[in-house]
This record gives sequence, C-alpha cells and structure tokens, in this order.
Amino acid sequence: MLLVTVVIAACGSSTSSPPPNPLDDKASPPAGGVELQFWHGFSAGANQDATNYLVSQFNSQHTGSIRVTATYAGNYDDTFAKYKASIQSNQLPDLVQIYDIGTRFMIDSGTIQPMQVFIDHDKYNVSDLEPNLLGYFSISGKLYSMPWNNSTPLLYYNKDAFQKAGLDPNKPPRTLAEIRDYAQKLTVKDSSGNVTQYGFGAAIYGWFLEQLTAQADQQYCNNGNGRDKSASKVNLNQPTDVNVVDWWTKMVGDGIALNTGRNTTDAQNAFKAGKMAITLESTGVMRGFQSAVKFQLGAGFFPKPTDTTSGGPIIGGASLWIVNKKPSYVQKAAWEFVKFLEQPQNMAYWHTHTGYFPVSKAAQSDPSDVAWRQQYPLFNVAIDQLHQTKLDKASQGCLLGVMPATRQAAEVGMEAAITKKSPPQKAMDDAVASIQPQIDQYNQAVGKS
Amino acid sequence: MEAASSERRAGTRTAGRRLAAGRRVEPAAFLFLAPSLVLFVVFIFWPLLRTVYLSFHGSDIVGRPTIFVGLDQYQLMLSSPTVRDVLANTFLFSLMTVVPSLVLAVVIALLLQQRIAGIGVFRTLMATPFAFSVATASVVFAIFFNPGVGVFNSFLQLFGQHPVGWLTDPSRALASVAVTTVWLQLGYCVLVLSAGLGAIPEELYEAARLDGARALAMTRHVTLPLLTPTLFFLLVVTTITSLQSFGQIHILTRGGPAGATTTLVYSVYVNAFAFGNSNFGLASAQAMVLFVVVLAVTTVQFGVLERRVFYR
Repeated sequence: MLLVTVVIAACGSSTSSPPPNPLDDKASPPAGGVELQFWHGFSAGANQDATNYLVSQFNSQHTGSIRVTATYAGNYDDTFAKYKASIQSNQLPDLVQIYDIGTRFMIDSGTIQPMQVFIDHDKYNVSDLEPNLLGYFSISGKLYSMPWNNSTPLLYYNKDAFQKAGLDPNKPPRTLAEIRDYAQKLTVKDSSGNVTQYGFGAAIYGWFLEQLTAQADQQYCNNGNGRDKSASKVNLNQPTDVNVVDWWTKMVGDGIALNTGRNTTDAQNAFKAGKMAITLESTGVMRGFQSAVKFQLGAGFFPKPTDTTSGGPIIGGASLWIVNKKPSYVQKAAWEFVKFLEQPQNMAYWHTHTGYFPVSKAAQSDPSDVAWRQQYPLFNVAIDQLHQTKLDKASQGCLLGVMPATRQAAEVGMEAAITKKSPPQKAMDDAVASIQPQIDQYNQAVGKS
Repeated sequence: MEAASSERRAGTRTAGRRLAAGRRVEPAAFLFLAPSLVLFVVFIFWPLLRTVYLSFHGSDIVGRPTIFVGLDQYQLMLSSPTVRDVLANTFLFSLMTVVPSLVLAVVIALLLQQRIAGIGVFRTLMATPFAFSVATASVVFAIFFNPGVGVFNSFLQLFGQHPVGWLTDPSRALASVAVTTVWLQLGYCVLVLSAGLGAIPEELYEAARLDGARALAMTRHVTLPLLTPTLFFLLVVTTITSLQSFGQIHILTRGGPAGATTTLVYSVYVNAFAFGNSNFGLASAQAMVLFVVVLAVTTVQFGVLERRVFYR
C-alpha cells in the first residue's frame, strides 16, 4: 500500500532561490522606531522573568529606535505549531525562539534569514562561541540560528543514598552497566518487600535516547545524521539503541528502577522525594533540584552506553531565528537584539538566572559567572562535560524535518518495551516503521528525496 | 412523529389553513435568529465543511492543503497499524466512563433524597466536581496517580499492597483516566438526577405506600421508571462527552503508555497539532470518522433505547 500521492507539495519559492540579502535593501525604518515581535516558549517563571529583564534592558538602551515585545507563545511544541500556523495565515513574528529539533523544518520553511548573512555582513566574531553549540545549529559551515538557551543532559544522584549504600559519593556511575551495579546496591526495601528507594529512574524521554546514541558515537539518522544531505531513515532500531532500551527494560523489570512514565515532572518529583537515587535530567533543572532536595545533590557526566572515550552529548535547548518575510530594517533590528543577548554580561546574567549554558567563553569568564560557579560548583560539571566532547556528526545531533514526531515515536517504542508490550527489538522496529511514512512525505514535500 | 404525519394526511381544510398560516415566514424571525445563525455558521458549519474539504487533500510541510487525494487519507487511516487499538480504546473508554457514571450517580442521587440532618451539606459536596474544570481535576489526579509520590500508592502500601503503575502500566492507564472522567462527570449527573427525582410527584409514592410497597419496591416501580427520561438524557450526553474527551487524556497520559490511552479524539489532536505534525488531511479524515461514530451511537440510542423511556 503506497500512498505516494498523499503529500506532494511545493513550498512556493521557499527552498529553491535564496532570499535576497536583506542588508542590500535600502528601505528606511519608520520615524517612531522599529517594533519587534519576539515569540518565546517560556511560561511564567524564572526563565520568562530573565527574558523580560533582558528585553527591558535592550529597550531602554534603544529608546526611539527599536522596541522589542516579548510574547509567550506556549511551550516549545506549541510555539513550533504556532509558528507553522502563522506561516499559513501570514502573521509571522520578527524573531522566534524554536527548539533544537525544529531546526530542519525552520530551514525548509523558507521563512528564515540565516544568521550567517548578518554575521558575514557585520564581520561579527562567532569564534568565541562554544564549538559544540555552533556545530548543532550550523549546516555546511553556515550558522542558521543563534544559540541562546542551551543545555545538555546530566546524571543527577543522591549523595546521602550513595553513602548509606557504601558507595563513594564522589564517584557517580559513568556507564549504563555501572548504573545497574549501583542501582542494585541503592535499591532499598521495607519489611513487607515494598521498594522505598529505587536505585534508578528517569522519564521515558526521547531526548535521552538521542543523547545516549551520541554518547556511543552513533548516528541517530542516516546521511551523516542528516548533515551531509537530508536524512531519509532513522536508526532507532540499531544495536546501540536497542541495547539501551533493553537495559532500561531490565532495570524496571528487575525492580531496581522506577518507571514514572513520559512526564519529566513526575520523574523529577520522585527524585526530589528520594524515591530514586540516580536520575537523568537536563542542566536546566539543576537550580530546581538544588532548592528542593533535602539530601546532598550530586551531578555527573551523562552516562555512556559502553565504556568508550569517544562520543558525547548533543546540545539541546532552543535558538533564535530571524524571519525573512520582513523589511530589511526589521531584520537588522532583530539582529541587533540577538547580538545584545549574546553579549558576555547578558549571557552571564542568562546563565546565572536560568541555568542554561553560557554560550561563549567570554560569558564563562565574566566575573559574575565565575563568582556564581564558585558558589555552585555543580554547574562546572556541564561545562566540563561539553569541553570534553569531540565534535563530530554523532555529537552534532540528527537533523530531520520530522524530528519532533520522531522523538515521539521513539518514546512510544521505549514505552512499549519497558512496559513489556513488545520485546525491545520489535518495539524499536515498530517505532522506525511508524515514522517512515512521515519522513518520506516530508522529504517529498520539500523535494529532497 | 407518526401521529403528526397521519394527522396531516387526514387533515381537514381548516386544519390545513391553520398549518399554512403557521408556516408563513416572518422576516423579523431571521433578525432574531441571526446571532445564533452567525455563531453556528462560523463555529460549526464552516469548520465542518472545511474538515470535509481537508480530509480529501494532502498538505505541505506547513499544513496548507495542496492537491486532491480522494480517499487516500481515509485509506491511510484505516490501514494504519494502530487503528484497531484507537477504536478499541475509544469504545472501552466510553463504556468505562458512561456506565459507572450513571450507576454511581443514581445511587448517590437516591441517597441524597434521604431526609437526614445535614443532607444539604452532602448535596453540595456531591455536586462540587461539576465546578472543576477538566484541566484542574486532571492535574490533581495526576498527582494522586504519581507512581513515586502519589497518594493512591501510599494507600495501597498502607494496607500492605504493592504499588501500582496507575498511568504507566498500559493495562491500567485507560481505567485510571476513566476514573478521573467518572469523577468529573459525577457531579453533573447527580445534579441532573436530583432534579429529576424532585420532579416525581409525592402522590405516586403515597399511592404506592397505600398499596403496601416498601422502599426497594418503590424505587424499582416508581422512582426508576419515572427517572428514565432523565437517565436517557444523561446517557446521550455522557456518551458524547466521553467520545470527545481530550483534556484528561492530554494531561494524564498524553495518549500513552505505548498508545494505551490514545482515543480517536486524541489521535486527531496528535496528527493535526502535536509534535509539529500538521497533518490536517489525516486528522480531518479521523474527525469525520468520529463524527459518523457519534452520529451513529446517538441514532442507535434514540432508535432503540428511547422506546423504553417512560414519558409522563
């Protein structure tokens, strides 16, 4: 049953001809200054507060010339969906924050102006940015969006539980096999046989599988992780991934790991409550963990599926995109705001108030950032981890138009295995089969297959 | 209906004239109907037509309809490996929410009729779920169901039972979402049934009492038959509501684990709006199927069950 006709679409003029260089356009801004619409995905809380603070700083520095209005457009998924809808209704923002896995779509949508255009024109120096960050958001050496709120995954653990189990609290496990060993020692049962503390537990989150694949120096999708040319197949059922899922399934089956489902908050709560001694989470939750836990918090590098020195984590989080369907002065104003956010002191403010990565070395050596990391040394773990990661196609991460749906398919596969609905190999084979039509349709629609 | 049409057929001249007069269209009527007509067109008829249109079209990566694809979207939907599970989940979910909601609501409504001190407090309490939004209740239940720190598992352990993966075990998740839904619907059902009970005339009970009927017999022979119109109304309404349930599934399980709580509505949402899918063609085809299912179930309910309804 082939339904090749389902989606054959042309994206108009989008992908064929590059948009004209906006900086050649001589249109002049209105007398009252430029109004910029900036959409982001931060709900009320620390991240939105920090965003609003930086926006107000920028606005007061540019009174009369540029005024940025920051709007919460729903969470990452919602912002992405809203952006798509706004293409249809032609009500695009001027600047938008889109999550990492939306990168391929954004490029294919034909609605964005690559950062490289502004960088080249301004001779803006990006060499100070972390190479791994540039690696994710660049395709063939061209930077499309500006890294802004970025994170990597870490392994978090309960040092008190380690001590009680006779484990060295300063030696977190480094491989999946080690986690299993540790978890066996860390699992505690009460007199009636109920587990009061599981050794391990993490959300069934597709991001972790993507990360573990990169940690094993393997590619998540074909064609050089979609970096040589558009990916046409995902490798969710390759041995590395199946082994990871198999390991997870056995951990849960043997009663040394707690399955809290897909919701990351549930896993966070269980870890904070001391229900599980080791968990996997983003650097972005470190502040939340620190203020909530009643035990000594430990953080280590994200684990590797096997004991190897190659491989490393992929950059996660979101980046900033400038929309090309706007007059040149609007795009230039958006670029001014992007540059402002990247300034070392602003990036240091961002890092210390949100927990996201300080994207440049200058931000990392900003006095406020240095002082802050002295106070909270666990934040060095993420930076050390990134600095030890060799940048290659595996750690650049997979670029795929339907990456959000693929992550979802991976989660369904992981869940099917962990809940014993299907054996790991079959579960991941099914996941690959379920996503293949969408990959094909997407590639046909943008004419890349 | 039958009676009305035979009357019309056998109608005398005067009756016919009366009918014609009644049918004369007052232009002013449209003026008064305009607000609701506009709302219907904008929010019901236009989206419905649009859904039909979209279900016959493919879409580009942004979700704009492109070319006519005939029945391909329907074929794609029916050939999907998960279509059986989705339909089964939809059916089971309705069964697991409608039946317990109605049974429990009748029991509670009957108990609330008792004339004891402080019954007003209980009546108010039993109706409160009605005041909760789906989202609020679901968030609260999500905390109850939490596998690590949830109160339901704490209770189980208190009584020496093993904790349960309420939302993480595929064989339990649908039932857990159904429990939440029953709780949500119960307040409304109790409220409507209480009103139904209040409308039963006291004389009928008196007559039954004179005939020597006891409480159980009165419930069986007086209360329940006279409650059938209310029950029928609730059956139709709760069935439609449960077929269209979305919020609790989205908040509690997001259709998981491993698709165990993916109903037709949730599947429509996933294809159209979630994970950047923008597959409006496929989602529209599913929405059309849902429309037909709801229509069929409601028609069957009216055709088969309404005959047993006792209208006074």
